[in-house]
Amino acid sequence: MVFSSLVFLFIFLPITLLLYFLAPRKIRNIILLVVSLVFYAWGEPIYILLMIFSSIVDYTHGMLIEKYREQDKKAKLVVLSSVIINLSLLGFFKYADFMILNINNIFGTTLSELNLPLPIGISFYTFQTMSYTIDVYRRQAPVQKNPIALATYVTLFPQLIAGPIVRYQTIADQINNRKETIDKFAIGLERFILGLGKKVLLANNIGLLWSQIQNTGFDDLTILTAWLGIIAFGFQIYFDFSGYSDMAIGLGKMFGFDFLENFNYPYISTSITEFWRRWHISLGSWFRDYVYIPIGGNRVSKLKVYRNLFVVWFLTGLWHGASWNFVLWGLYFGLIIAVEKAFLLKFINRLWKPIRHVYALLLILIGWVLFSFDNLIDGIEYLKIMFGLGGVPIMNNQFVYYLYTNLILIIILIILSTPIIKKKYEMQVKGHVNSKLQTIVVPSILFLILFISTAYLVDSTYNPFLYFRF
Amino acid sequence: MNRKSSITIIAMFIVFVVTINVLNLVTEDKHFSEAENRILAKKPSLTWKSIKNGRFTQRFEDYVTDQFIFRDFWVGLKSDSERLLLKQDNNDVFFGKDDYLLENFNKPKEEIIDRNIANINYYASKLKDMKTYVLLPPTSIKVNENRLPPFATPYDELLTINKMKNNLLNVDFVDVYQTLKDKNDQYLYFRTDHHWTMRGAYYAYEVLAKEMGIKPIPMNEFDTKIVTEEFYGTLYSKANNYHIKPDYIEVFTPAHKTNVQVDYVSENKSSNSLYEEKHLDTKDKYSYFLDGNHPIVTIKSDVSNGRKLMIFKNSYAHCLIPFLVNHYEEIHILDLRFYKMNVYDYISENNITETLFLYDILNFSKDTSLNILNIK
Repeated sequence: MVFSSLVFLFIFLPITLLLYFLAPRKIRNIILLVVSLVFYAWGEPIYILLMIFSSIVDYTHGMLIEKYREQDKKAKLVVLSSVIINLSLLGFFKYADFMILNINNIFGTTLSELNLPLPIGISFYTFQTMSYTIDVYRRQAPVQKNPIALATYVTLFPQLIAGPIVRYQTIADQINNRKETIDKFAIGLERFILGLGKKVLLANNIGLLWSQIQNTGFDDLTILTAWLGIIAFGFQIYFDFSGYSDMAIGLGKMFGFDFLENFNYPYISTSITEFWRRWHISLGSWFRDYVYIPIGGNRVSKLKVYRNLFVVWFLTGLWHGASWNFVLWGLYFGLIIAVEKAFLLKFINRLWKPIRHVYALLLILIGWVLFSFDNLIDGIEYLKIMFGLGGVPIMNNQFVYYLYTNLILIIILIILSTPIIKKKYEMQVKGHVNSKLQTIVVPSILFLILFISTAYLVDSTYNPFLYFRF
Repeated sequence: MNRKSSITIIAMFIVFVVTINVLNLVTEDKHFSEAENRILAKKPSLTWKSIKNGRFTQRFEDYVTDQFIFRDFWVGLKSDSERLLLKQDNNDVFFGKDDYLLENFNKPKEEIIDRNIANINYYASKLKDMKTYVLLPPTSIKVNENRLPPFATPYDELLTINKMKNNLLNVDFVDVYQTLKDKNDQYLYFRTDHHWTMRGAYYAYEVLAKEMGIKPIPMNEFDTKIVTEEFYGTLYSKANNYHIKPDYIEVFTPAHKTNVQVDYVSENKSSNSLYEEKHLDTKDKYSYFLDGNHPIVTIKSDVSNGRKLMIFKNSYAHCLIPFLVNHYEEIHILDLRFYKMNVYDYISENNITETLFLYDILNFSKDTSLNILNIK
């Protein structure tokens, strides 16, 4: 099931809310567990067993770590076991065919691919369950003796399918000690509706433009059309993914949970280093805390730091998809970050701010080309067109048509990519406790978004979620 | 967030969701959508098997979406919001001037075009003692290109038409583009449907007739009648722009009536009219012409000149055939999408004297049914 669907909005969510808030506090976690299982099984009737398996594995591992508190060697083995099991699960279901393909290419064998469907959310929940055992080992969170409570954490439907990756230490306490309040619920609901609008009204629509441009043969593209296309993709993936994160965080709040932010206006960055502190924050910090720092981080010799960066960015790329272009995308950013770290950042920070924005956006967009074309040759072709190599015309009528029929949408997207509206709103309500803005305008706008989103969902011919199969 | 604001937001959400749910539960399920011209999803049955293979949940989602209350209103609202954002097309249909919906012509797959050239060439050379006429009219998007929204760039249908013209051998290629273009201030194509009108077909008939050595009946020797003014065609459903006014259907009957017997061979039914009135009460009013698509139709007229015409066609032919009926003793119409037997046997069994290929270029460029002609 996806959040942006009529079944979720009008059936699943209202029933869940009803059950949850009518139930006594003691059984609220069980209710969440049950509805989360239904939520997951809705889309994956078979693979739900995998997720349950993953939770059982980590529950037992957590208990074992607690048992071997005094025998560090054994405890470390338990952590290793958890990591191996979870990564094997992920590796098998997500990367098996990728590995087979590469083995065939290198060794000339003809092993046939398994063609297993990818279990929904596996890239997210395996990372979450691993974070549990590691956090318990590191004493950053107490062991969870109640299997229901742990299962609730693993299966929690708001962030189960597409993040943010919620580490156990973040909500360890909230599992049994959270407080649902009217104001928190309303803030969550507001966040949810805004996320819904971002996905259904904005991302899906600009995605149509990218789709049209992508389907245009390379012979018919012009320089400006290619740029317009990749900009459209950049908007699509941002509003799609951050919209989904907003919905997840909003839903969490409605049930009393506080998740960490996953996006912080990444497109206002002035460097790639900054971009990765604003984009998919939960993934970046997961890799930092569970991979980068354990292998030495930047507290080792210069050579080893570069090795560490290589490893982290290789894995970050690979996490996004079982294909070499994703790895290339990750390493591409890793390289830029290494260079920025070495000397480039000091130089850039002295430049006029707008230039720094252009610098960052340019590199980000080039990155999106690598990301969006599975086939590297096509990706490079597309980049060539963007930079006018090979006698490509600058623009044509088709470009003008694409531009003006999407102009208003693009302007909206640009404005919403910056914190302007949020800042203006906060300034307005500062000190005015019962301002009309808060009590009338905001609810009306939220209603409008909900209303029009419903229209788009009923019409739904095009409602894919890009990060869905992760 | 202040308390008043919180309560308003929560209340607004609850009221909206509850109202929708109550309305959904209280109203009956709809069977058929007029606007979308399709059957709407029914409530799926809950079986263990369908849960296991995931089909139940998919069917349930389709059911909820299809049976959602005020479905047409929501679809219209979405379409309106898009036009507010200056969107000039939807689902590959442009919103043209004068309320014209123009179906986009996408760059065709060259393999299909090349294959069809080979198919027709094979046919014509195998039957080189008979005349083969090829009429591939352009569609509204080309003839009415002056009505396109600014800068819209469909693929040029003339490129495909000319490719056909230049590569077909042993045929009489009938080019009607200029004729139609010169008259495009007239009602040649439906505004809400992908077909041409009988008027548009008439001007093509004039050009075709001359190629066939026939003197076309002049327009003033026809009586015209409007049989409906409420025709919402295929493009109306595709584009979802509910503010477009409907089409009217104009029928031309010759002052000197030709008697016909129309046999829908595969369905074992006959008629002595080229028009089927009952369709005027449904959504698919274009089927008024020759009752829509049938695998085999034969039309015998009271003309006795020994000329027997074979027509391979798609639905564009249906409002042009009534003109040809006045000049042929027999017309045999095979729809190759449905007729799968040996075409050459049929031709010799029925003493066919000439052939006409009549397809609009847009659908022709996607049509693979002509491959059946190329049997070795």
